[in-house]
Amino acid sequence: MITRRDLLKISGLGLGIALLPDGFMLVKASENPQIKPHLWASITKDNYLVLLINKSEMGQGVYTGLSMIVADELDFPWRRVIVKPAPAKDIYIDKKMGSQLTGGSTSIRNMYEFLRLLGASMKEMILESASREWKVPKEKLQAQMGYVSYTNKKASYGELWEKALKLPIPTKVRLKDPSEFLYIGKGAPRIDTEEKVEGKAIFGIDVRRKDMVYAVVERPPYFGAKPQSVDDSQARQMKDVLDVFTISSGVAVCAKTVEGALKGREKLRVGWTKSPLEGFDDERLSQYYLDMLKKKGVVARKDGDPILVLEKAKRKTSAVYLLPYLYHATMEPMACVVDVKEDRCIIYAPVQAQTWTLQTAKRITGLPEDKIEVYTTYLGGGFGRKSNVEFVKEALEISKRIKKPVKLIYTREDDVKSGWYRPMNATRLEGALDEKGRVIAIYHKIAVPAVFEWAGRPSQVDRAAVEGIENMFYEIPHVHVEFVKVDLPIPVWFWRSVGSTHNAFTLETFIDRLAKIGNRDPVELRLELLKNHERAQKVIQVAAEKAGWGKRPKHGDAMGLAYHYSFGSHVAQVAEVSLDKNSGQIRVHRVVCAIDIGPLVVHPDLLISQVESAVVMGLSAATKEKVSFSKNGPISLNFDTYPLLTMSEAPHVEVHIVKSEGPMGGVGEPALPPVAPAVANALLWGYGIQINNLPMTPESIRSLL
Amino acid sequence: MVELYLNGRRYKVNAEEDTPLLWVIREHIGFTGTKFGCGKGICGACTVLVEENPTRSCITPVGSVKGKRIITIEGIPSDHPVKRAWIELDVPQCGYCQPGQIVEAYALLKKKPKASKEEIVSVMSSHLCRCGTYGRILKAIQRAQKLMEVKA
Repeated sequence: MITRRDLLKISGLGLGIALLPDGFMLVKASENPQIKPHLWASITKDNYLVLLINKSEMGQGVYTGLSMIVADELDFPWRRVIVKPAPAKDIYIDKKMGSQLTGGSTSIRNMYEFLRLLGASMKEMILESASREWKVPKEKLQAQMGYVSYTNKKASYGELWEKALKLPIPTKVRLKDPSEFLYIGKGAPRIDTEEKVEGKAIFGIDVRRKDMVYAVVERPPYFGAKPQSVDDSQARQMKDVLDVFTISSGVAVCAKTVEGALKGREKLRVGWTKSPLEGFDDERLSQYYLDMLKKKGVVARKDGDPILVLEKAKRKTSAVYLLPYLYHATMEPMACVVDVKEDRCIIYAPVQAQTWTLQTAKRITGLPEDKIEVYTTYLGGGFGRKSNVEFVKEALEISKRIKKPVKLIYTREDDVKSGWYRPMNATRLEGALDEKGRVIAIYHKIAVPAVFEWAGRPSQVDRAAVEGIENMFYEIPHVHVEFVKVDLPIPVWFWRSVGSTHNAFTLETFIDRLAKIGNRDPVELRLELLKNHERAQKVIQVAAEKAGWGKRPKHGDAMGLAYHYSFGSHVAQVAEVSLDKNSGQIRVHRVVCAIDIGPLVVHPDLLISQVESAVVMGLSAATKEKVSFSKNGPISLNFDTYPLLTMSEAPHVEVHIVKSEGPMGGVGEPALPPVAPAVANALLWGYGIQINNLPMTPESIRSLL
Repeated sequence: MVELYLNGRRYKVNAEEDTPLLWVIREHIGFTGTKFGCGKGICGACTVLVEENPTRSCITPVGSVKGKRIITIEGIPSDHPVKRAWIELDVPQCGYCQPGQIVEAYALLKKKPKASKEEIVSVMSSHLCRCGTYGRILKAIQRAQKLMEVKA
């Protein structure tokens, strides 16, 4: 019996060489994409379904979730499904995003309908093919689990596929009734687990090409500096070193071996121009952000007259928050393999953004689109970082110059030095209550870099800067939201849940402070503020109830709740926390999460694992993470100085799925924002501590006690 | 020239003795299951077994393990309870750190089949996973303990 793994071996995917499967036609970029099964799927003679998936697998389970949808409508056995990454081509563009891109917790939401239609169309064509072959009306045939049957006749989809493909693509197909679903709503084993457990999954760093050389890049200590003088005489003497040259981001060292490239780089002497950031250490950065907060910004939202109401209010409070730059810390640092030839360019890269990779390759090589092949490997973590393709650009520059296939590897230190952090930010919040303890005014002002502008989409009010605040569901009569753009040349980028990472923290901790001065229960106060938003209310009620809100915490000494809406989903979390007052060490024992992504959860276990993942990442950032800077640049260059949460610090995560009517929401990001404020709120109620700065390290907590 | 005994086979590799074992395994020989994560022995993604001891290959000079028995993720049998438990519980997300985690867990259970939860957490806390699969890793190791009991 041929197993799925054997087939992967045969096709060469296991070796990371032939990522493009046989049997698929590549279309011209200009061709208009519709339901064209031959471009998305193939069924082999021995009845394996091979699917090209246009979203990047970075751990979220998208290969499983998306292929399940096709297999369900097609009525095909799950164990015979094989996924391959779709190359970068116009046909594979996510129409709802206008780009071949994985991000914003949108993959299932955006592709669900299309993939159902694809599977159903394929089934229809297979039935039609059998009907013609056997001269039996289609209605009398049965298509089930990869086989078409009629009385004593039976044929596999694979046997019928070749002829089916020659038939016209049906314009109308019947979609399954939810009661007929095989996998949707139930789930299936992850399609990538076995490869990953065996160490056979091919990530960007694992790709090998014939005659490939290795490259590393020496980067400036601080952003914006350029090489002024390069002494490569010693580096060139090192064993295996082939060439040393300047590229746009620094100085590249190429060698026959990776150790040769690294040793060569050690011997390199580069004099850098002065960085415009020189002198911006942690202290100066903090002061800079706080000063920016005093400047006039752009008003993103104004309801009523919050300034006047705040001035007159008797019960009010205010806070200034300062949150740090965060590093994505994908376990796989940036790495890719690129081969630029005279007439062709091949890229194997762990990217979230195929279209941007293709555009970058066009720009660097000057080749037309149809001469550039972009194949996506598995991503050893993404979290937004790998939608930035500057590292591929570097590899393109190097391969073009050295005229050989190049494997570019970032060391961990290179990865941190390359930047693209979650932006630092300073926020001022003011709030007022009326005599009944109702929230009547919120004044919010944030000084933060414009992430969308860094991604090439500038606007007056950066979407990321105010998301989760400007569009909050809390109904408050007087609201002011203002954005002050910080324009430092420290590169910033999308970091899992983007602006909500900071805005949920500031808003949700502030709501609890208002509850405290108004002697209100924070759950009851939120329910009042959300009285017209049933979905939001429901997740708060479920999380509170499941956690035993109002009773003594089951674990630890204090309990805190936070709610946030992002990426189309409502999430509430309750954190059970204890604090060792001597050391300042906090411990989060359990996080109870209620999540509403709408009426349908395609794969419940993938949702659960995404919530587990988001809670750990959010808690890691909240308690441990901060990119620190000396006067000469970032100094948190590896896991000794940029520690991540470990198993001993990870809480038990309990997930409750709440279903509701409404559009489908996302899963990858929405469970991250609430965890940090839930923990901080537990500290407020349990220990009277107000957290205005992250991370909540033992030292910072001790200073508040 | 260095001679290595890896996953039950002998390899002659043209590498300097001070080259990290990691690069020799991955880039010279081609077993890419062992991952590069930090280069400082902190994250555990590069963990292999040297004479059954979990070893951070990114800080181990290849010259120091000549002639010793080295096992990587590819050398652990597919039907081993640890791998089976990992598959059963769908532990991996991105999967990058998982070979190191599995090798560590394999060594732990070989030495201490009945390791307590506290012992497991203590040993496994030396491995980083950015996807936060810690809860499932713990469950998988406990599941593997059960599978091993049945086998014994």
